[in-house]
Formats: sequence, structure tokens, C-alpha cells
Amino acid sequence: MSGSSPVIRLLGAGRRFGSHEALCDLDLTVHAGERVAVLGTSGAGKSTLLALLNGSLEPTTGSMEIFGENPARLPAPRRRLLQRRIGSVSQELALIEQVRVVHNVNAGRLGRWSTARALASLVWPRSLDVVRDALDRVDLGWALHERTERLSGGERQRVAIARLLVQEPELVVADEPVSSLDPVRAAGILGLLGTSPTVSTLVVSLHQPALAREHCTRVVGLRQGRIVLDRPAADVDDADLNDLYTLA
Amino acid sequence: MTLGLDAPPAPPTASAPGRKPVSGRRALLRKLVTLVAVAGLLAWSVHRALPSGSELVNHGGLALLDDLAATALHPSLEADFLGVVLDAMATTLALALLGTAGALVIGLIGGLILSDVAWAGALPWPVRVARLLLRGALVAVRSVHELVWALFFVSVLGLDPLVAVLALALPFGAQSAQVFGETFDAVPDAPLRSLRAAGAKRCSALAYALLPGTAPLLLSYSFYRFECALRSAVVLGVAGVGGLGFELTVSLQSRNWGEVWTLVAALLVLAAAVELWSNRVRSDVAVVTCADWSVGQERSGDEGRSPRGLSRSTRWSLALTVPAIAVAWWWAGLSPAGLTSARTQDLAGRLLGDLWPPALPEGGLRALTGAALDTVTMAVLAMVVAVVITLVAGPWASRPRADRRGPAAWGRWAVWWTARLLLLVLRSIPPTVWAVVALLGLFPGVLPGALALGLYTGGILGRLVAEAWETMNLKPRESLRNAGVPRVVSAVVSVGPPSANHLVTYTLYRFEICVRDTAVVGVVGAAGLGRLLSERLAAFDFPVVTSVLLASLLVSLVVEILGRRLRRALRA
Repeated sequence: MSGSSPVIRLLGAGRRFGSHEALCDLDLTVHAGERVAVLGTSGAGKSTLLALLNGSLEPTTGSMEIFGENPARLPAPRRRLLQRRIGSVSQELALIEQVRVVHNVNAGRLGRWSTARALASLVWPRSLDVVRDALDRVDLGWALHERTERLSGGERQRVAIARLLVQEPELVVADEPVSSLDPVRAAGILGLLGTSPTVSTLVVSLHQPALAREHCTRVVGLRQGRIVLDRPAADVDDADLNDLYTLA
Repeated sequence: MTLGLDAPPAPPTASAPGRKPVSGRRALLRKLVTLVAVAGLLAWSVHRALPSGSELVNHGGLALLDDLAATALHPSLEADFLGVVLDAMATTLALALLGTAGALVIGLIGGLILSDVAWAGALPWPVRVARLLLRGALVAVRSVHELVWALFFVSVLGLDPLVAVLALALPFGAQSAQVFGETFDAVPDAPLRSLRAAGAKRCSALAYALLPGTAPLLLSYSFYRFECALRSAVVLGVAGVGGLGFELTVSLQSRNWGEVWTLVAALLVLAAAVELWSNRVRSDVAVVTCADWSVGQERSGDEGRSPRGLSRSTRWSLALTVPAIAVAWWWAGLSPAGLTSARTQDLAGRLLGDLWPPALPEGGLRALTGAALDTVTMAVLAMVVAVVITLVAGPWASRPRADRRGPAAWGRWAVWWTARLLLLVLRSIPPTVWAVVALLGLFPGVLPGALALGLYTGGILGRLVAEAWETMNLKPRESLRNAGVPRVVSAVVSVGPPSANHLVTYTLYRFEICVRDTAVVGVVGAAGLGRLLSERLAAFDFPVVTSVLLASLLVSLVVEILGRRLRRALRA
């Protein structure tokens, strides 16, 4: 991967909320094709880091480039084009509860649709083949026309993954995407994110170190807003993890 | 929803951290002060309305009232006239529909602009200033009564159906914009943020994230607005707008009582049909009562949703909406050309030029404040009449509980129907007609206006309160009864405080509207700012019209702010 420009480059990036310093002085470079697991205790800054990476937060100090561009400095139309290349799944799944599943999956394609096409699809769902295919891949083929609010927590999480799949992003930023899934399904979803042909780069925060070692190529550990561990997944041993999760 | 009101007042929670214990003595004192203030206001109003020495009852008009009563059983049933009545019913319905449609367009656009959720992130200052100006403009637009708007539009557009549509669409649209904006802001914003983060355009993102969650509430509110528009379309008849209201005005002026009774019957049929249908659709799309809409309770998207799907009749109603608007457009003969004609531009330019600078009426500031005080007096007395009607008819108009059977239950249902019908009659006949009738028996002044407004408002308040009482939680009563408390005591203790709470809340809210409605009875000659306004309008004395409008804006703003504070204090 040497030679290609990095997908993510953080230089001394920090983020504070009022007087609270959530992240400070992060240096992180992620190249295309890497699968990075972000580990750390609750409150270590994982969600803040991922919010920076998907462009919904700006760093308050330092610099950040994604695909070689700083999202905060782009004019709105170019920023939209950049955001289309980044897919994100958050802990709050951000699904629209009152519509059928097909619309929630199609919401992933709104970035490439004209407004007229988007509105027409709310009445008469478009690109059903793509949606059905994505739902099949997360084992939800049966739920195409189900009301989203009727699904269980785990099923909704998989709808959010299907929405991500139809967006066909080059970088996926996933904040605990498998937290409410059983172990078998969790492994399946991570495998899907890892092997999807369109997703080349993945940054995912996890609570289970075993999943990180199995599905990711690199592990980044956060503690009190700083990177304390950054190593290939194969080289991470139990002692590292013990250090990371020991309360300071 | 009304949950917050249903709950009996919570006992003071002294143990809650960070909360001061409520002093019982202070609570009692506050109640006493409020009671004394209300009693003082009532005494002042009665004193103002009944000046000693002058005569109140117009003995010359009583014979006419007799005639009116005598013809009640002999309505005019000539074929020609029945044709006119049917024509007028269709016109009123069409104008109400078009006015509501216009109001909803204004409401949707205005609501999106006013809602915070549609504008994610920090706003540049010109946008913020523009939004603030828009908010102020909408408050001003809705505080002017639709009849006053109609009088203005008539003087510019002449007798054009556009007058009715614009006069309904502007104030109702301003009101809807506020409600829609609040509804949009109650939707959780995570989906919208996530759609925007995935690169969706603003319009598509808003449509996907906001519409599905709010559509049932918006629909329910639209149908509620349609009911209001129908009543207002009849009121506009006084300004010369065609339909049932206009025919009623003509028949009343020519003292053709038989025709009046036929028209009243037609009005009742139309109002009852629209209310039944609207009630059905509203209970189908979302669990929100009229009472909720009128007071503007805070509600979240999920709470208001009906658990059932849409029924067939609702689906048909929704599917037929657009064709119905097209038919109404054709029937009313609406043409936007009137807006841009040279005559309209000339008249509008002259009108706007004449309105400024404002001038005081004859008698100076004293006359203006006198009229403003008359307006407040009229509203206070009207509320007294309305509350009496509500207390008498309200308990019977609440839907009986289904747990009783047998002949006694049948009797109760009959009483229920009668009470509902009485309230329907009171609110369906426009206050202008009540005022004309009251002015037959009483000399012009505060009293006939208050009586007319009170009868009309009583019909609305009674329904609101009855609906709120229907949804009241009866569990406390059951548990008291199960604990061995006698029937009557348990009913009074558990149902009394929340019922009183409903009554006070809705009375305060209706009082605000009543102040605005005084314009209507003023136009037919009762008293107050409305009378001054219509006299000066008829004399083309536009500088004075401006100052009267400003005075009524001030009065309704003061009343609204005081009312809102009082309601919040009572809820807390």
C-alpha cells in the first residue's frame, strides 16, 4: 500500500467539549485496505474519534484529512461528495421508525439520487433488486416490506448494515456495530464488512477483543483520549489488552 | 397528550434532591390571590357592561324575537330557495377546503423554516434575522381575525372568491406554521443527521427523516383546521363572501325568518357531517383529540400514533383530497388573475399608502382605550357564559363509559346525544348571527356582544372539555372505591381536581381566542375595537384603522402572554 495517499491522516488532532478534553494529540494514519479495530473502555473517546472520522465532528486542534481533503474546509457540494464515500453506523442506529424497511435501506442511496427520484421512491420504492440483495446478505430478505418499528434490536442493527451496503462507501466508520447481536451473527456481520467488495477500508470500535483479533488487521487502543496501543492485530497479546482495560 | 393533566396533582416531594419543598401556606395564598383577582376582574366587567341609568333591553325588538321563535317550525321550503341553499352549502364547503389547502401550504413551508431541526448547525446571521422577522410577522398575521382580513381584501379585490381563500389561508397558515414547526422539532434528529452524514441532499433528507414520523400528526391537525375553516367561512359571509354565511346575512337583514331557519338547519347538517367525518379520520390517523391540538400540548412522534392501520374510509378520504380541491377550485371559480390586475395593484397601493401614518380616532387615546377595555370586558363576560354552558352541558356531553347496560344506560346515551347536539348547535351558528339576534332584544353595547360570543364559545369549550374528560384516568377512583371510600367521596376526590384542571386550562386558552373573536361581533355592531374598526373601514378612514389594528394586536399579545404564563404556572 505504500505510495498511495492515506485514507485517513490525523496530525496532533484533538477535540474538546467545553472544558472536557475528549481526545488529545492523536497521530493516526490509515491506508486503503486496512481494517482497524478501535478498543478501549467506555468513555475512552472511541465514539468521538469515529465521529471525527465520518465528518460529523470537527477537531478543535490539529489537522485531519480524509481522502486527502479536510471536510471542514470544503464547500457544501464537495463535502457531500466526500461524505458519500464514507459510510457510518452509529450506536443510535438512526433508522426512520415509521417506514418500511425498504425505505430505510434505500436511504443509503440518497446521496446519489436526485431529489425528485428520492421523493418518488418514498411513494413507489425504487431499485428493489439492490435492496433485496443487501437484505439477503444480512439474513433479512423476509423483512423487505416490514415496518421498521416492528423489528427487534438486532434486526434493526442489520437493517442499518444493509443501508451501509447499498451506499457502497470506500471507507466504513462503524461505532459498535455488533453490540446487540449474538456472537454468531456478530462474526457474520463483521465478516461481511470485512469482505464486501466495495468496502476497502474499515474503522470499527468494538467491545470484544477476540473479534478485533479475528476480523481486523490492526488494533488501536484508546485510553483517556490518547492512543496507547497501535499494533498489527496479530501482534496484540493478552498483556496489552489487560493494560488497556485496567482502570487507571 | 393529556397525561400531564390527567394525573392528580402530585404531593410535594420533599425528599427529591435539589428541589425546594412546596410551602402549603404559600400555595394556599397563591390560590386566594388568584381567586380575588378573578373575582375583581368579573366585578369590573359586570360593572362596565351594565352602566347604571341607561336602558339595556330594547322592547321594540322583542316582537321581532317573537316572530323569529314562532317561525321555528315553519322554515322556508320553496324549491327555488332550497336550490339557493344547496348552492350556498357547496360554496361554503369549497371555500373552506381551498382556504385550508392554502393554509397548509403556508404552514408546511413556514413550519420548515421555523423549525430548528431543518437547519442543522450554526446559522449565518442573515438567516437568523430573517427567521426572527418571519416569526414576528406570523404572530402579527394570526392575531388579526380572518373577518378583518376579509374586510381588507374585499376593499381591494371586490367580491372575488379569492377574498375568502386568502382571508382563511393567511391567519390559519400562520397558526399552522407554528404548530408544524413544533411538530418537526419533536422528531428525534438522529436519522436526519445520519442521512446528511451519508451525503444526502437537504430536501431528500428532510423528506425521509421528518415526513414519515410527523405525517399522522400533520394530517390530524389539517382535518382539525378544516373544521375551524368551515365555521370561519360562514362568519366571513358578513363581509360579503358567498355561501351560507352570506345568505344568512341577507335573510336576517330582510327579516325573512323562515329562510333563516332553513339556512340554520343546512348549516347544522353541514357542520355535523364535516365534524363526524373529520373526527373519524383523526381518530384513525393519530390519537390526538381536538383538545390537544387547540392547546398545543407537547407531544412526541411516537406517542400520537394510532396503533391500528388506516381504515378504508380514511384511505378514500386521503385519496380524494386532491380531486376535491380541484373540484372546489372549479366550483368557486377561483382565478389568481385578480391578484395581479391593474385595478388590484392600484387599489392595494392606495390602501397601503393610506394606512400609514396611523391616526387616533375621534375622542383621542381615551376613545381607543375605552374600546380596548370594552373588548376585554366582552371577552371576560363571554367566558362566563361559556363556562356556565360547559358546566351545565359538559358532564352530560362526555361519552358514557361502556361498563353500564340496561334501560338506565339507554337514557344516559340519549342525554349524551342531546348534550352533544346542543353544543353543536351553539358552535355551528356563527357568532355574527347570535349577535344579530341578541341585538334584536338588547341595545348595542358590550352585553349583546358578550352574550353572542359566549353562546358560540360555550359550544366549543363544552366540546373541548367534554373530550378531555372522556380521556381521564379513572384508576384512582377505582382504587379509592376498593379501599372502602364511599362512592361520592371517592368520585369528588379523584375526579374533581383533574376535571377542574382541564376546565381552567381550556378556559384560559379559549379566552385568548375570544379576545380575537370580539372583532366578529364588533363588525355587526356590538362594541369594542371590532366595532370601531368596521365603522372606520366603512368610512375609508384608514389612518385610524391602522391604530385600531395596532391596539387590538397589543391587546391580544398581552392577553396571550399573560394566559401562557398563567397556564404554565397552573401546570407546574
